Amino acid sequence: MKLRILLADDHEIVRRGLCALLQKREGWEVCGEASDGREAVEMAKRLKPDVVIVDIGMPSLNGLDTTRQLLAHDPHFKVIVLTITDSDQVIREALDAGARGFVLKSDAARDLVSAVEALQSKRMFFTPRVNDLVLAGFLDKGHVVARNEPPNLPTLTVREREITQLLAEGKSSKEVATLLNLSTKTVETHRSNIMRKLSLHSIRDLVVYAIKNNIIQIQMPEPTRVAAETTVA
Amino acid sequence: MQHKLTGKDMAVRILLVDDHPIVRQGLRTLLQGRGDWEVVGEASDGVEALEKIDDLQPDVVVLDVTMPRMNGLEACRVIQQKHKNAGPEVLFVTQHDSPQMMREALDAGARGYVVKSNAARDLLEAVESVSNHRVFTALARAPQVSS
Repeated sequence: MKLRILLADDHEIVRRGLCALLQKREGWEVCGEASDGREAVEMAKRLKPDVVIVDIGMPSLNGLDTTRQLLAHDPHFKVIVLTITDSDQVIREALDAGARGFVLKSDAARDLVSAVEALQSKRMFFTPRVNDLVLAGFLDKGHVVARNEPPNLPTLTVREREITQLLAEGKSSKEVATLLNLSTKTVETHRSNIMRKLSLHSIRDLVVYAIKNNIIQIQMPEPTRVAAETTVA
Repeated sequence: MQHKLTGKDMAVRILLVDDHPIVRQGLRTLLQGRGDWEVVGEASDGVEALEKIDDLQPDVVVLDVTMPRMNGLEACRVIQQKHKNAGPEVLFVTQHDSPQMMREALDAGARGYVVKSNAARDLLEAVESVSNHRVFTALARAPQVSS
């Protein structure tokens, strides 16, 4: 029986690369491809893949909230998070969301097959830096892992996080309502609750909050006339 | 800019330059559909790209903008300075969906500009165009080709 993998990344070119990499393995098949988190959740419910690989920075529903929604629906889903950043906060959130694998996009060609194999064998797989961080956090009773975390952030519900992302992406309450199959009034109520919980006063504040907390990711600044850059595409 | 292709039977030789191997694999997969094109090599930054251009003499260089050691814009300028009108055509494939960045790429000597999120839609047409010395630019909106 084949191992069935669902891919979720908003860049088709990355999905093509991942497909080519994974389908070289005999006995593995990519059973579906999603271009955002919402589509990934729908496809996963329908296709019941053995492994789901999700990019963190997806529109509509980011990879972390996709992971949360998948595991809320079925805790047996095995999720590998793909990311361009290995900041402490993102690692911590991915672990909290329930991801069982964490692979840097820049290392995907080297690590992704190993990550899928690990999950297939009921183990976890984390890129070496995450292993170091988890170990350091364990040895230091959580001090290292928590060091860069924003202090005492209020907790948003899954629905509120979804709505926060959509509003921060520039959608109106009416558009959010249509996307989530809710009434505009319900969305407005969620919106008020979000603003109150987070002590925010404008959509601009909400966008800043969403960026700081990895709910949305922004395109990097334009490297005008720079000689060398270290950020990854 | 002169091109080394002289006959219809000659394959277009393509060099892929991106710091993410998985993106290079995706580009390669997209280009495989064309039997008359050949991916002759890959490089992970601008410095390596310049070395590979000397070794492999590609007709088209598919170049990312943001890379370590030497970014794509710098690499493109060096290619133009070094090869004058006899070098490979440069096609940028980048995440920067920005008219400013596109202008900068064309000023650096690139013949084409495609946004990564639309690469699956635009890449083949872009390579076809630049290999025939036509400008191809495509931001998030519809692509434009000009001679």
